[in-house]
Amino acid sequence: MKVRSKVLHYLNPIAHFGEKKYSFFFPLIINLLICLLSEWYALGIAKNPNSVGAYIIFINVASIIYFSFRDGIRGGIVSTFITIGYYFYIIQSRNYTGSQFTTGVEATIILGLLYIFLASVIGWLRQTIDTLIEREANEKRRLQTIIQQLPVGVLITDSKGRVDQSNKQVEAILGVKIPVGFIPGKDPAILKRKQNGKPATLTQSPLAQTIATGKPVVRKEFMIQRKDGKNVYVQLSATAVHNKKGKIIAAAEIINDITQQKELEARKDDFVNMASHELKTPVTSLKLYTDLLLKRVKQYNDERALKTLTGIKNQTDRLQELVNDLLDVSRLQTGKLRLTKEVFRLDQLIVETSDGLQEAAGNRTIRFSGKSAVTVFADRFRIYQVLTNFLTNAIKYSPEGKDIPVRLKRENGKVIVSVRDEGMGIAKEQQKKIFEKLYQVTDPKEKTFPGLGMGLYISKEIVKRHQGQIWVKSEKEKGSTFYFSLPSQKR
Amino acid sequence: MKMKIVIVDDDESILDALSLVLEEEGYTVETVLKGEEAFKKVLVCKPQLILLDVLLSGVDGREIGKRLKQHEETKQIPLIMISAHPSVKESVIAVGAEEFLAKPFESSELLRLIKQYTRPK
Repeated sequence: MKVRSKVLHYLNPIAHFGEKKYSFFFPLIINLLICLLSEWYALGIAKNPNSVGAYIIFINVASIIYFSFRDGIRGGIVSTFITIGYYFYIIQSRNYTGSQFTTGVEATIILGLLYIFLASVIGWLRQTIDTLIEREANEKRRLQTIIQQLPVGVLITDSKGRVDQSNKQVEAILGVKIPVGFIPGKDPAILKRKQNGKPATLTQSPLAQTIATGKPVVRKEFMIQRKDGKNVYVQLSATAVHNKKGKIIAAAEIINDITQQKELEARKDDFVNMASHELKTPVTSLKLYTDLLLKRVKQYNDERALKTLTGIKNQTDRLQELVNDLLDVSRLQTGKLRLTKEVFRLDQLIVETSDGLQEAAGNRTIRFSGKSAVTVFADRFRIYQVLTNFLTNAIKYSPEGKDIPVRLKRENGKVIVSVRDEGMGIAKEQQKKIFEKLYQVTDPKEKTFPGLGMGLYISKEIVKRHQGQIWVKSEKEKGSTFYFSLPSQKR
Repeated sequence: MKMKIVIVDDDESILDALSLVLEEEGYTVETVLKGEEAFKKVLVCKPQLILLDVLLSGVDGREIGKRLKQHEETKQIPLIMISAHPSVKESVIAVGAEEFLAKPFESSELLRLIKQYTRPK
């Protein structure tokens, strides 16, 4: 049985496609055998030298087709030469008359040319297919090597999202071997994925999304609950592969293990949180001591001591604000900032905040104008924080003696608050960045004020959590206007 | 007669600063550094008000608060709890504390609260 299938495999012309192994002796021997057999039939069995006839031509054509398929051009040519050689032998040995001989030679030459053409075309076809198959195999091997070497997990699927290739990192990250044909996101028994704490559905799968839309899906975060009990965080990116006509033929997914990064972030947040709380205790006692001392010093009419203590008090307050900002940033990043929304009058809050800061503004006047009786549904303290941030920035950057106009207006179902200063302005390329976390204008030529760059970031995040917007309009040397909007309160 | 206040905190600087501020206002102050001793101290001193930190080394201030609020002799004493974590406010009120104060606070704020509960009847 084994021998039979081996022989069948050896004889099957198509089975060797892509192998590029061409036998020379096989077509030679088989074709010689065909000629000997037909000679034995004509002279031995039929006892008639002319009885080979059309049958031999049929067998020869079949053998040429077969061998050019099996052994390329070389196999076809070998078969052709032996066949033509045999024809000449027949013409020579059969004692034909002059004209018969001439016709025979001419026919043989034409047949020979036809055979060679046939052998070349089929043989060339076979060899081209070989080259193409080999090229694809090499391409695949090269891709496979690259995929295996990548430091990230890679899944390659067909157009239906079924996995047909994966690398060893996939197994290392997910803790499970992804079977060929598996649709990621479909079967939680094989792979449990969660997004934002909830079990992920198939429609959330980046592979399914990219196949559905044809567009790349970038860096979606998932949590994988591994079979061994470990939880890993991954970032998934998927891209559909299109053919020349734009049809999706495959898709690839990159799996990036971000567990370590997540843990580090969590530890950092924990640290910031703990450190800020630890800082609060000494700040509290410092404030208590200072307040008491201030109270006592006021009785003695000592100008200098009073001034010094006021300085200590102001700096302690600043320290307290920094600690609070640090805590807010940490809360924002861990998603722990809770909003306590209520209905209140925004215009009143603006007036209160402005009044509270007028002293710090010195000879710059905060001037409020615009709508009154504007109610919003928001976290009063957090909005107060945003207003304070806008106003303290305006005070910092406004030249002495200038007004700081604050406006409040209604527009398209939104309320918009703006605070303007006539300071040095912000360059276009920095206008977006100033709302980013811990961003500071670092141009050494700019006269900027120190700070950790947390205020605008916190403001942006607060406004964002109220479904509002925050933006700035500014021109160098002319000043800046900061805006934020909140949804109008529905009655 | 001077009003008596017991302060429980595991941070000596807070105890010291609070004592100074409160004594300046005319209160008698008893300080407790160890959470375990707080209950006993309250029973002995019979103060008019208790200031209690939530995060004490060793014991949860809320446990002490709970015990104070459950005991016959101490439950009517106003209890103000202090913490650096504003998020614990709800659990503090649930324990039965009259007020919650988040660190850092102004001394004026503290004094206002204390006066509210120690007004002579």
